[in-house]
Amino acid sequence: MAATLGPAQGADSDLDRNVIEDEPRGTDGDEENSQQTGATNAPQSRLAKLPLARIKALMKADPDVTLASQESVFIIAKATELFVEMIAKDALVYAQQGKRKTLQRKDLDNAIEAIDEFAFLEGTLD
Amino acid sequence: MAERPEDLNLPNAVITRIIKEALPDGVNVSKEARRAISQAASVFVLYATSCANNFAMKAKRKTLNAGDVMSAMEEMEFERFMQPLREALEAYKKGQKGKKEASEQKKKDKEKKSDVEENDKNKDEEEEEEEHMDEEAEAENEVEDEEVEN
Repeated sequence: MAATLGPAQGADSDLDRNVIEDEPRGTDGDEENSQQTGATNAPQSRLAKLPLARIKALMKADPDVTLASQESVFIIAKATELFVEMIAKDALVYAQQGKRKTLQRKDLDNAIEAIDEFAFLEGTLD
Repeated sequence: MAERPEDLNLPNAVITRIIKEALPDGVNVSKEARRAISQAASVFVLYATSCANNFAMKAKRKTLNAGDVMSAMEEMEFERFMQPLREALEAYKKGQKGKKEASEQKKKDKEKKSDVEENDKNKDEEEEEEEHMDEEAEAENEVEDEEVEN
């Protein structure tokens, strides 16, 4: 499976140098205010809408996680973005069934119940 | 600083923007729905991290890498994400490379402007920087053994 990113695997030792502690503060929009100005710094920030520092903090909440490469933080940020898009669209279907133009909490609940990929969310939301 | 998973959430403005861009014009999203999506996104991060970390541990690596995340996506049945993620990763890696080269170029420019003595000094700084990274990585390891935080 890791073979799909062959070069990345080989460069693992390089990645260790770029572990999360290493990220220059400039590229993270880790406070709400900095994201108002959008991607002010390096182009990297435009590739991920979600602030990498926040994602990193979430990842580190897992006691089993020792270190994570910058790339892995980025990919999880990107995947989360795709996830948000997906769940919003899937929930919309239920709103439309109810002839509504406003997405409501129950539409989310319906989507979570109906769609296999969202099974992990069951029981996790307030 | 101890951050518990429940305390961490993603910036509302960004989540809202992602949702709005995914949905057609004229569709609104209630505050409760937005909050739930934001929570779901945090859960997604935690779940994906855990899953990816399993792959890293299986491979006896301490550092979670991009490949582990890709494997996790497959495991979580989010194969549809894999292609866009691969593309995004390529763009990201290119950008990272550009950044590195740019900062190295800056150092070279500095050297050109200063004396020969300065040249040696800058080189030392460069090496120092890289060692520092390793130190940080080691310190990170030590810290992680006891606690999860920074």
